[in-house]
Amino acid sequence: MPIQVEHQIQGMRALTARRVVGVCLMLLAVLFVAVVISLRMGAFPLSVRDIVATLVNGALGRRERIPSEFWLVVFGLRLPRIALGILVGAALSIAGAGFQALLRNPLADPYVLGVSSGAALGAILSLIFAPHLAAAIQVAAFLGAAATIAAVYFLGRRGGQLDSATLLLAGIVAASFLSAAIMFLMTTLPGRDLRGMAFWLMGDLSSPPPTDNVKGWFVFLFVVFAIAAGAIYLTASDLNLILTGEREAEHLGVNVHRVKLVVYVSASILTGLAVSVSGAIGYVGLLIPHVMRMLFGNDYRLLVPTSALGGAIAIVAADTLARTLVAPTELPVGAMTALAGAPVFIYLLRRRVR
Amino acid sequence: MIRVRRSVLLLWAAWALVMPSGEVFARVRFSQEANTASREARATRTVTDGVGRRVKIPATVDRIVSLAPNLTETLYALGLGDKLVGDTSYCDRPPAAKLKPHVGGPQNPSIEAIVALHPDLVFATTSINRRETVDALDRLGLSVYTTDPRTVRRMIESFGHMADLAGAKSQGAALTADLNDRLDALHTRLENLPPVRVVFVVWLDPLQSVGRKTFIADALRWAGAESVVRTDQNWPLLSFEELVRLQPDYLVFAASHTGEGAVTASDLRSRAVWKDLPAVQQDHIAIISDEIDRPAPALVDAIEQLAREVHPDAFKTSLAPHSEYLCRPAALKSEELCANPS
Repeated sequence: MPIQVEHQIQGMRALTARRVVGVCLMLLAVLFVAVVISLRMGAFPLSVRDIVATLVNGALGRRERIPSEFWLVVFGLRLPRIALGILVGAALSIAGAGFQALLRNPLADPYVLGVSSGAALGAILSLIFAPHLAAAIQVAAFLGAAATIAAVYFLGRRGGQLDSATLLLAGIVAASFLSAAIMFLMTTLPGRDLRGMAFWLMGDLSSPPPTDNVKGWFVFLFVVFAIAAGAIYLTASDLNLILTGEREAEHLGVNVHRVKLVVYVSASILTGLAVSVSGAIGYVGLLIPHVMRMLFGNDYRLLVPTSALGGAIAIVAADTLARTLVAPTELPVGAMTALAGAPVFIYLLRRRVR
Repeated sequence: MIRVRRSVLLLWAAWALVMPSGEVFARVRFSQEANTASREARATRTVTDGVGRRVKIPATVDRIVSLAPNLTETLYALGLGDKLVGDTSYCDRPPAAKLKPHVGGPQNPSIEAIVALHPDLVFATTSINRRETVDALDRLGLSVYTTDPRTVRRMIESFGHMADLAGAKSQGAALTADLNDRLDALHTRLENLPPVRVVFVVWLDPLQSVGRKTFIADALRWAGAESVVRTDQNWPLLSFEELVRLQPDYLVFAASHTGEGAVTASDLRSRAVWKDLPAVQQDHIAIISDEIDRPAPALVDAIEQLAREVHPDAFKTSLAPHSEYLCRPAALKSEELCANPS
């Protein structure tokens, strides 16, 4: 990517720990504001005072002091949804940043390699064969994503090495094949209720966690997220070098093949994780890394954390809009991210060109 | 200038954020207290709903939320309109249903809005709601009863259950007895006639019909008609060739809900290919009430209407008017039908 290289060389400011911390704290502050607004908005009227009282009493375990409806709305509905939004947004954005470096293609996103189609096929199969099993849809979606990742990986190798162009083509072919399989199932399956699928394919955060142990569920999700995201973060300086050219990076002592493998597997896990709990939310994984590049430069050591925070902000904000724009009806959050994401992106792009 | 505008904007945002929702807040809290007080004292019973879930339901139900138009219509038919505290934005029958607070569309209602209405009981149905919605409400501890009206008889049965749960047992018995009697009368009239072979057209372009497992296919059977589309898919897409091959005696359409874009017989006669179908040439086109699309009490009206259209001869002699509620021990019947409280 000549453009990226040039941009990187020109735009590379010395990255100090202070800058990383400063930028991240600023984004954290924005995320906090987004979370507060998201907690405040909704069909059930709650003032900030009510929310604070509910949160404080809830945190102290004094559940009897707050009206049970407040408890339900804050702890049962809004907080889990915000947590899920943060997780999904961060996972998709980091995965997007990872795939963009791995494939050396600015158009790459978490779904370009067919991961979301694989997950969707898994989800639809679980709706067909195990419609009443708890967490079946999430597990099946993840397995579908994993199977696709493995298949694309083997198709995408050339001479034993991951080849960016071959991988990209393999992914695109897998994605269209799997989408066709989904269409086939959806139009030919007898008498099954696949109504939920439409929402799932659009991306939707309104589904409740599949278990009664909500806390345990989120701990599990965040641990998986932390491992995969951490792995990508650790390759950040190698990715910087790979972006200037694979051969050059190799000369500088980077094990290019291993870095690519780590990024491929981790980004795929992050995508599978996000898709299995929220369906295929589009645009975030493509747009957020680019927005963060425009704002803070192309250094992956900064890009990975800022993409995570930016993605979290984007999904929390988009979901708040999706819940409130045509309340009480809810829009799928995927429609919101595309609707709001495209204009924002074009604005930033134009501004930079000028 | 820009700075002034920005600070005004910030102030506005801060105000919107912190503004306590005064009156609403007080009302919520008040009704909340009243609710918990009465709820503690309340007895519950456990029933099995239409999809086999075990549901705990308060013994006395005063506040009902309906998540589908057919359920809303049924609740009004049972005289439970006063207990209905919320419905969906699709609920337009009877007109009073439009004035109830809406919780969103049937497929994507706001869970919060439902919680805010403090329902004792929420009705959902497999024919339009999503399972995720029911799961979410269930997880929050709300009582959700789901109906699964796959056949006309089962639909009528579910009316009895709904009435029983909402404390309108006698109305339920009366309604189910009336509807069952009318079906029986139709059956007596039509049982010796061969069924008319029909294609029920759900959608014209692309051509879509009903599978044999839908309640519409069952409704057609009660009207002395038989859908010749034999598939297990619920809403199959048909090729035109298949329609030609099936050679239906009648084409059945539902009148459009809003009155716009409704199919008319003259419409079909001027459409290419359609106009050459034998059914169209013989003017065997039945356009019946769109109540055929809704598993609600008025479905039986639509069935009777269709029966008259496709079997005009059978209705030339009128049978003696059936004596409502007398020919069967209605109360006993509904006991049998009701979910067993345990």
